[in-house]
Amino acid sequence: MGLQARPGSRAGWHGMESALNAIFEVLSFGAIIVLVVLGLGIIASMMGIFNFAHGEFVLLGAYTTYLVHGAGLPVWAGMLAAPVVVAACGFVLERLVIRRFYAAPIAAMLGTYALGLVIRESVRGLIGGLYISVPEPIVGSLIIGGVQVSRWRLAIVIITTLVMVGSYLLLTRTSFGLRVRAALENPSLARASGISTNAIYAITFTFGAALAGLAGALVVPVFSLFADLGIRFLIQGFVAVMLGGVGTFEGPVAGGAVIGVMSAALPWAVAPVLADVLVFVLAIVFVKFRPGGLIAGRRF
Amino acid sequence: MDAGSGYRDAAPMISRRRFLRSAVWAGGAITTGIGSWVIRPEWASAAGPIKVGIATDLTGAAGYAGNADANVAKMVVKDINNAGGILGRPVELFIEDTASNESIAVGNVRKLVQRDKVDVVLGGITSSMRNAIKDVIVTRGKTLYIYPQQYEGRECTSYIFCSGPTPAQQCDDLIPWLIKNGGKRFALPSANYVWPHATNEYVRKIIEKNGGEVIFEEYYPPDQVEYSATVNKIMTNNVDVVFNTVIPPGVGPFFKQLYEAGFGKRGGRLSCIYYDEGALAINAAHEIEGLATCLDYFRVLTKEDPVSARIQAEYDREFPGGALFAAGSAATGMYRGLKLWEAAVKEAGKLDRDAVAGALDHAKIAEGPGGPAEMVPGKHHCKMKMYTAVAKEGNYEIVGRSEGLVDPKAC
Repeated sequence: MGLQARPGSRAGWHGMESALNAIFEVLSFGAIIVLVVLGLGIIASMMGIFNFAHGEFVLLGAYTTYLVHGAGLPVWAGMLAAPVVVAACGFVLERLVIRRFYAAPIAAMLGTYALGLVIRESVRGLIGGLYISVPEPIVGSLIIGGVQVSRWRLAIVIITTLVMVGSYLLLTRTSFGLRVRAALENPSLARASGISTNAIYAITFTFGAALAGLAGALVVPVFSLFADLGIRFLIQGFVAVMLGGVGTFEGPVAGGAVIGVMSAALPWAVAPVLADVLVFVLAIVFVKFRPGGLIAGRRF
Repeated sequence: MDAGSGYRDAAPMISRRRFLRSAVWAGGAITTGIGSWVIRPEWASAAGPIKVGIATDLTGAAGYAGNADANVAKMVVKDINNAGGILGRPVELFIEDTASNESIAVGNVRKLVQRDKVDVVLGGITSSMRNAIKDVIVTRGKTLYIYPQQYEGRECTSYIFCSGPTPAQQCDDLIPWLIKNGGKRFALPSANYVWPHATNEYVRKIIEKNGGEVIFEEYYPPDQVEYSATVNKIMTNNVDVVFNTVIPPGVGPFFKQLYEAGFGKRGGRLSCIYYDEGALAINAAHEIEGLATCLDYFRVLTKEDPVSARIQAEYDREFPGGALFAAGSAATGMYRGLKLWEAAVKEAGKLDRDAVAGALDHAKIAEGPGGPAEMVPGKHHCKMKMYTAVAKEGNYEIVGRSEGLVDPKAC
C-alpha cells in the first residue's frame, strides 16, 4: 500500500514536525494517565487498599463538570467544583463503607468494585447511556515550532505537573504528610503517639477521591462524558500501580507515566492491536523480574 | 497479585451466620430474576395474550441503544393493543436485559424462550450479541428471531430476519457521494471486531469500483481512546476521506484529535455510517462539521414526511429526555421489525413458527420511520429508503435520497 507521502502536499506534515508532534501527543497522554493514577496510587500506597471505584470517582468528577456546565455556568467553574464534590462523596463512602474493609484488602477490592458498579450504572441511567461532549475552557491549538499543539492538552500537562509536585510536597514535607506516613507504617505506634489513624485514613481517602475528581474534570473535554469513562482507565491504573510499586508516592506516578507513554507511543511503531497487548505483556514481564515494581521497598 | 491465596486466608473469617445471611440474600435475588420486565396488556382474550420477547442491552455500553429499542417496543405494542391486538388477542411484552454482555445475555434470553415461551424475540444490538443469542432462540428455542440493527449483512440463518440496513444499502450511494464531495484518497480506521472488518471488505470494493483508492485500513482495540498515531498517518498521507468505523468511546477523542490537527480545515471529509442524532452529541458541533452518514431515518425527515413526524412525536411524548429515537441505535429497525412481524402474523392467521416465517418472508408495511419497507423474499432482509445526510452546526441536513426502496443485496 502506498503509505509514503505524496510530494507537494498541501499541509506540511513531515519529518521533524511529525516527530515533534508525536512527542507532544505521547507526553500529553502520559500526563493524562499520571493524573488518573495519582489518586489511586496515593490511596494504594498510603492506606494499603486498592480502590476499584477510583475510575468511578473520575467519572463523578467528569459528571459534576458536565452538570455545572449544563446549569449555564462556565466549564472551569465545574472543574473547580468537581474535586470538592467528589471529595465529599469519597468522605461519605469512606465513613460508611470503605473503613470496614481496612483489615481485608481482598474484600476491599470487591467492595470498592461493587461501589464503582453502583456509581457507574447510576450515572449511565442519569445520562441515558449517551456520550456527551463537554467543551474545553481553553479552545484551539497553538503553533509551537511548526507543530499544532492542542491548548487544552498542554494545559493538562502543566496542571498534572503542578498537582504532582504539590501532592509530593504535601506528603513528604508537611507534618500532615508525616502523620499519614506514620499511620501507614505502624498504625499502633501512630495511635499510641496521639495520631488518630481513623481520621488520617478518612482524610487520605478523601484526598485521593478529590484527585480523581480533578482528573475526571480535566479529561472529560478530551474523551467526552460516558458511563464507562472510568473503567477505561481502571486496568491501566492497576497495571501502572503494579509496575511502579506500592508503598511510595513516586512509584505509581512513574508507573502511570510509563504505561501512558507506552500506550500512546507503541501505536506509532507497531500495529495498534498488537500495541495494546504489548503494553501489558511488557508490564507483566517487568513485574515478573522486579516484583516490587520500579520504585520498590522504601515506604518513604 | 495472588488473589487466590488472599481468598484462602480470608476464608476462616466467614462465620456460618454470615454465610447463611449472604446465601439467603443471593437466593432471593436469583429467584426473583434480575433484569426482567413484563408489560401486561390492559385487556384479555379467551385465547390468552400473544407473547413478544425483547432481548436488548438496557445496561452496559450499548445501553443508549437498548433503552431506545425497549421504548419503541413498548410504544408499538401499546398501539397494537389499542387497535384491537393481533388476531383478536392482546400482545404481552417480555423485556430481558442482555446487559451488553454475551454471557449474561444467553441466560436471560433462555428465560424468554423457555420460561416465558414467547412467540418471537426481537433484539440484540452488536453482531457479537446476535451471534451469542441466535442459537438459543432459533435452534434450541425453535422461536423466530428479528434482529433490528444496521450491521455487516451475511446473516442468512433460517428463522432469522433482519430489519436494519446492510453495507450495500448504506454505502452504494454514499461512497460515490464522498468521492465527489471529498476526494479519492480514503482511510479506513476501524475498531477490531466483526462489523468493521466485514463492512470495510464491502466498502473497499465500492471505493475501488468508483475510482477511489484506500490509503490505509487499520484496526484498533475497540476501547482505544488515543489516536495520535492514526491522525498523523492521515495528515502525512493527505487522506481526503476518513471512512470511520471506530466506535465509542474512541470515536469522540479520535474526531477531536483529527479536528485539532486541521483535517477539516484543509478540506478533509469525515464519514461514519452509524452516526445518527445521538452520536452528534459525542463531539462539539464544529469538530465534526461536514460529517457524512447514510441511514434509513433522520429526525429532519419529520418536516417532510407526516408518518415519520407522527412516530417521532409519539415517541418523544411517551419517553421524553431519555434514549433517542434514532436509526443508529436500531430504534427504527425495531419499529419496522415489530410492524412487519404484526403484518406476517395477521396474514398467517396463526402463531406457528413456519407459518409466520413464511408470511414474514414477503411482509410489507406501508408506513414506517423514513418510509415504507418490505422483506425481500428468500433474502431475510428488508428493502427500505435510504438517506445521505451531512452534519451542519449540530444537526443533519439531507443531501441525497434513494430513488424508491434500496435492495439489501444480502443472502
